[in-house]
Amino acid sequence: MKPLLDKITYFLRKSLSARLGLWIALFAALIFVAALGFMFAESRQAVRSEAISHATQTLESTVLRVTNILDEVMVATDNTDWLIPRHLDAPDSMFVYSRRILANNPDLNGCSISFEPYYFRDKGRWFSAYSLNENGGIQTTQEGNDEYEYFYMDWYQQAKLLDGPCWTEPYNDFNPKGIFSSDVIASYCKPIRDKEDNYIGTISVDLSLSWLSETISAVKPYPNSYSIMIGEGGTYFVHPDTTKLFYQTIFTETLEHPDPDRTALGHAMQRGEEGMKQLVVNGESCYVFYKPLSTTGWSVAIVCPERDIFAGFNRLRSSVLAIVLVGLLLMLLVFRRIVSRELVPLQQLAGQAKTIASGDFETQLPDDGRIDEIGQLSHSFSEMQSSLVNYVEELKTTTAMKASFENELKVASDIQMGMVPRIFPAFPKRKDIDLYASMTPAKEVGGDLYDFFVQQEKLYFCVGDVSGKGIPASLFMAVTRNMFRIIAQQGHTPAEVAKQINDFITQDNEQNMFVTMFIGCIDLQTGHMDFCNCGHNPPLLDGQFYPLKYTNQPLGLWECDQFSGESIDDVRGRQILVYTDGLNEAENRQMEILGNDRLLELMVGAETLNAEDVIHKLQKAVEKHRDGASPNDDLTLLCVRVITPSEN
Amino acid sequence: MNHASKLILSIAGLVAGFCAGAQERFIFTPQWTPQAQFTGYYVAQEMGFYHDAGLDVDIVHPTASQSALSRIFKNESQATTLQLCQALEVVGSDVPLVNILQTSMNNSMVIVSRRGVDPLTQKGARVGCWAAGFGQLAFCLSDREHLDYDWIPASTPVNLFVKGAIDAALAMSYNEFYQLVQSGMEFDDTSVYRFCDHEYNVQEDGVYMRYDYYINHKEEAQKFAEASRRGWEWAAEHPEEALDIVMKYVRMHHIITNRSMQKLMLAEVLRLQLNRETGEREFRLRPDMVKLASDLMVENGMLLAPVSYEELIAR
Repeated sequence: MKPLLDKITYFLRKSLSARLGLWIALFAALIFVAALGFMFAESRQAVRSEAISHATQTLESTVLRVTNILDEVMVATDNTDWLIPRHLDAPDSMFVYSRRILANNPDLNGCSISFEPYYFRDKGRWFSAYSLNENGGIQTTQEGNDEYEYFYMDWYQQAKLLDGPCWTEPYNDFNPKGIFSSDVIASYCKPIRDKEDNYIGTISVDLSLSWLSETISAVKPYPNSYSIMIGEGGTYFVHPDTTKLFYQTIFTETLEHPDPDRTALGHAMQRGEEGMKQLVVNGESCYVFYKPLSTTGWSVAIVCPERDIFAGFNRLRSSVLAIVLVGLLLMLLVFRRIVSRELVPLQQLAGQAKTIASGDFETQLPDDGRIDEIGQLSHSFSEMQSSLVNYVEELKTTTAMKASFENELKVASDIQMGMVPRIFPAFPKRKDIDLYASMTPAKEVGGDLYDFFVQQEKLYFCVGDVSGKGIPASLFMAVTRNMFRIIAQQGHTPAEVAKQINDFITQDNEQNMFVTMFIGCIDLQTGHMDFCNCGHNPPLLDGQFYPLKYTNQPLGLWECDQFSGESIDDVRGRQILVYTDGLNEAENRQMEILGNDRLLELMVGAETLNAEDVIHKLQKAVEKHRDGASPNDDLTLLCVRVITPSEN
Repeated sequence: MNHASKLILSIAGLVAGFCAGAQERFIFTPQWTPQAQFTGYYVAQEMGFYHDAGLDVDIVHPTASQSALSRIFKNESQATTLQLCQALEVVGSDVPLVNILQTSMNNSMVIVSRRGVDPLTQKGARVGCWAAGFGQLAFCLSDREHLDYDWIPASTPVNLFVKGAIDAALAMSYNEFYQLVQSGMEFDDTSVYRFCDHEYNVQEDGVYMRYDYYINHKEEAQKFAEASRRGWEWAAEHPEEALDIVMKYVRMHHIITNRSMQKLMLAEVLRLQLNRETGEREFRLRPDMVKLASDLMVENGMLLAPVSYEELIAR
């Protein structure tokens, strides 16, 4: 299932025409659903109203017919019962009256005129004049005896207790042998009163309800509808399922399977209400129309399956829905085809754009003269193609220029590196000087510098760091280095060298560049060292920071009358390390600097190493500390030791 | 099987049939028309428990012209079921009876009135009762509580109550009560007074026989009681199958009822057979309930002298 769904999703994502077609079909379906839903609801309501009207009329006419006959029974009884109180002195006349009622009303089954126990003393406990219409003749007998104590029977008691005329619940007649007949009997009963208005007995007229059952059963407003009749106790007296007659009430099924709708219907019918209820009967939704039968307490109902009532409506609805469904599918296909056709130029454009993207800028874009959105898109693409061609040309030029510039920069780097002595050992003929230096620019060219030379048994050396980086700094470095060599070769002290360099580079220093610098001069004979520190890092002497007395200003900032120099009496055998801040301020990826403490740790035991090894050790430490991070500053190191003859 | 074997078996069958035919027929008459109230006896008959006990039992129901008691009095039936109060009335009228099996452990009678109306507040109300009897405890209640009910005897009070001809009605919780519910009547706790929940919990159905018959047929009585008890126990264990048997009898006698009603009746009858204190189906007459019933009936004048437990039980 999921792979199929994925395929459909992929197809829809890929095909704009399918997507558009689907959206349009969905929107159309929405409109159809709303319109048809409203139409169906209204139509259904109309059909329902018509069904209610139809069923109600059918029910009313049926009830009217039945009621008319029941009324005749009541009238027949009323026409005779007034005679009874007038002839209480002649009990046997009651046989005549019960017989007369049947004679005058051949449709009646029986009639009894029954009295309270011992009402007629000479007649004993029981006196019930009973006439039975049987086989075309009327049989009249005294009905009561010790096996049939009629005053305990419903038909007798109800009239007495309700103190008025009433109908009994229909019952199934049976003969003395206990064999049940299919005939349904009901009795209309009235109390008999004497002249003092005291209750003395009950007159009861029996009516066969076979015709009633047939009349009600015949009511069939719809092919599968049927009618039922229940008594006041809910018992079925008319029902298409004859096994339920007398044996079940409308509530029986609810005893084991509660059904509030059926219970509500039963109660409404018992209360003698008239109306309609919708409920499920035998698993099928039905409309039940019910109406009471006169004053009997009985109720008649027509059960109409919903499928019958709405059969025509359902057929129409199915047809319309099928047509709409097919129409929507056709619409989907047609729209998809139309949109596909309209999108052909767009597909061509997409293909050609792909060709352009692959580098073929000369591809000719289609121009079919369209002025719609697709035409505009094609035009915009054409302009973009033209712009792209220009841009690529410019890019080529720029790339060539960049290559040239990088080449020049490489040359500049070589020149800069050529300015500082790079051949070691620096003084191969001298055994008393162990000196090593290195300069590593952060970019192609840097702003650091170092230099050294020996003149008249004096070793001049310097290390400097120009503010900023790159080409400006490298040019400033070149100037400074040249100034150092020119001035120092004149035999000046480091402080004087510093002053003269400062004086020179301060002039016309519009860029406000400056350089920190350490300048030293060691008398190789005596080991005496003069030096001047111009805003530069303090040097390390034998692995410890040398405590400077003066830290002069960097060179180039402003004019200065005098730079203060310092001296150390004898540095022979002692290791001097001069460096730029590219060493102790080298940063790793986390922007953490190497630090002075780490530098001191690195220098522990370094006094036994020669100058080159010290420089290499420090370079490796810096590289390790950076851990792959790009250099944040130029790194320049210079290590020197004057070796005494005894060391040699 | 060869012809000789078939012959031997046929002769054996004839002899067995002759012996069975020689067995004195034992006629048992329940006190009402066929219904689940008598399931245990139908089961014992249909499952062959009576036959297994060596009894040839015939279940003969009463008719309109011949009640169960009249059959006992005329020696036409050897045993019948009676409510305890009925039995006391009979014994009190100098016809000694013996209880050979007690099935009911609780009273099933209720007084029902319209929904929301407490029967005990309806002083002087018209209350339907059975013309055939069974209402002894209700009469005692009416007198003791000074309710002065106007008793309306009827063949059955169900229709009168449904029609609104009476204010309240006596009903058995396993029979008329369900008939009323099936007629759409709705009750609540207020409108149903259950005698068993008050100081009137007197046992009902038991199997009785005349003392003079019992004295000479103790063995048959014991066998009938044991087979009947077995029938009830089987019914309790197989209610659906037992219900099938009940429905067979119901249909045979054209009783106006249905399976749902009989199912409810059987469940309620079986529930009433459980001793409330122990939860067991004990099948015994309780001396305390005999004394309670006897005292109530003496107080009410239904008995001239008390009837003791010892007078009723099989000795």
